[in-house]
Amino acid sequence: MDFNGLSLDQAPPISAPLRFFITAPVFGFFAALFLFFSDPAVLVNRFSIEAIVATHLITIGIFGFVMMGALTQMLPVLAGAKIFAVKRSALVGYLLLLFGVVSMVFGLMLNSSIVLWIAVGLLGSGFFLLISLMLFAIKGVTYFTPSIFGMMVSLFFAFSIVGMGLYLLYGYASGDMSSFHVLIANIHSVWAVFGFCGILIVGVAFQVLPMFYVAPKFKQFFEQRVVLLIGFGLLLWSVLILFVPKYLLFAKLWVATLFFAFAITVWFNLNKRKRSISDITIWYWRSAVLFLLSGTVVWIFASFYEGVSITLVALLIGGGFIMSVMQGMLYKIVPFLVWFHLNALGYMTIPTMNEMINKKVARVQFMLFITALFLFVVSFFVPWIFKVAALTFMISMAILEYNLFLAARIYRRTKKSKPDFDMSAFTTQ
Amino acid sequence: MSNIKEYLINDHRSCDHLFTKMEDQANVSLVDAKEITEAFIRDMERHFQREERVMFPEFETKTGMVNGPTEMMRQEHMQMRNLMQQLLEAIDNENKDKFFGLSETLMILLQQHNMKEEQMLYTMAQQHLGSEADRIVEMMDALVVE
Repeated sequence: MDFNGLSLDQAPPISAPLRFFITAPVFGFFAALFLFFSDPAVLVNRFSIEAIVATHLITIGIFGFVMMGALTQMLPVLAGAKIFAVKRSALVGYLLLLFGVVSMVFGLMLNSSIVLWIAVGLLGSGFFLLISLMLFAIKGVTYFTPSIFGMMVSLFFAFSIVGMGLYLLYGYASGDMSSFHVLIANIHSVWAVFGFCGILIVGVAFQVLPMFYVAPKFKQFFEQRVVLLIGFGLLLWSVLILFVPKYLLFAKLWVATLFFAFAITVWFNLNKRKRSISDITIWYWRSAVLFLLSGTVVWIFASFYEGVSITLVALLIGGGFIMSVMQGMLYKIVPFLVWFHLNALGYMTIPTMNEMINKKVARVQFMLFITALFLFVVSFFVPWIFKVAALTFMISMAILEYNLFLAARIYRRTKKSKPDFDMSAFTTQ
Repeated sequence: MSNIKEYLINDHRSCDHLFTKMEDQANVSLVDAKEITEAFIRDMERHFQREERVMFPEFETKTGMVNGPTEMMRQEHMQMRNLMQQLLEAIDNENKDKFFGLSETLMILLQQHNMKEEQMLYTMAQQHLGSEADRIVEMMDALVVE
């Protein structure tokens, strides 16, 4: 029997996930800054360079970084999946992605094919390195839970979207846009949102909702089938868009229904949670549900009405749903990691999780984030609001960074002092 | 026929239940939550000892794994005992913020711990000790907390 699942040094070093977490809001800040100076009329066209840059500052910079950080932490702890040389791999992957995003942004803005080639190399090696190591680690897992299955499927989608993304970026670098460009871009974005981020969030929710809030477990059917069904729906969607686009709506309805059901289930499971304490992370889960519901509805409507912009769908699902879940989870995970690692080092008098992040400041950050999203939606109809929205978003990202940074700083500061080992076990009774 | 896994999982659920009651009470009045916090700690301690004094040694003898998963679980028990002690101190100092900060940390630690036990260790224990489950469950049931 394999006992890899339980070893003493399970948790990866704190730097491995924390580095990703602390960097993500910085990208959010720059995305907002970039939006602030962009023309909303240009951004509405999803294929404009500005829209691609802004989107990827958020999708790679925030989603990619938070997901990679979270998986680095969760795979060993929840699944006993050991990532090869986790400390070094995470650092190398991080640096490749960091410089990869920066060169992608500058490459696109300056229309420099050399810089874009560098971006292809850096992003490709960074993502493929991390994703392959994670999938390889999952291969050794003995006790497979629905959560781990979700993470695995999501990583397969991640692998594919990175491949497609590189192909698209290659198009810009070489100036050679094939007739497939738009089609691949479509599959790339839908798989990224629903396949990579969506499935990962579903898988993680199975585990964290009961764990953090003592909410009821998801129904067995849901836990065991929904990830497969979503995956199948996305494949069906891709086959249809390639060969019989007129039936595309069926696959869209399929995927949308499953996510709709997921959102409703999360809402009711949170209502039925045994821990009645409500905190910022619950608010974020609630907002995630509402944005997911509205986003899927608009996605379906976009099939019927030409006027409904797909950018609005991206805003609701990407900005609203995915970002809400991520911020909520960051507020839980970052202070817990700081506490956990300090405790493991022998420090007993550590600030509690509540003392690491000021609740009031977190609430202000939440409010600003939600306001920013509403303003972005309004700006579709009232363009001048756009700059106000971007500015609000920028402030919310700055506060998020401030909140997470303060927690991380406690780790550094405490570590500089001497640990106060608990010696009670050695005292005479 | 008794089942070690089910028996210990039941313990987890009843501790979870007490935990949420404790938080609810503390939210209303921290001082009045002392009694239920003590009850929670008592139940947790009984569960820990059921494992540490009965199930873990049986498991270790049967499988020969002394420094493996059971040792890790013991260490996590110590971490949780420490946090629970601090919960009582927070009540005595009437520090509600501290109390909820600690309960938050304890909750995550506890659930992460439970998940590992329920998904892995208990499954292994039931596989190895299944034929002696009646005797082991009886011993755990009869245990007097030290």
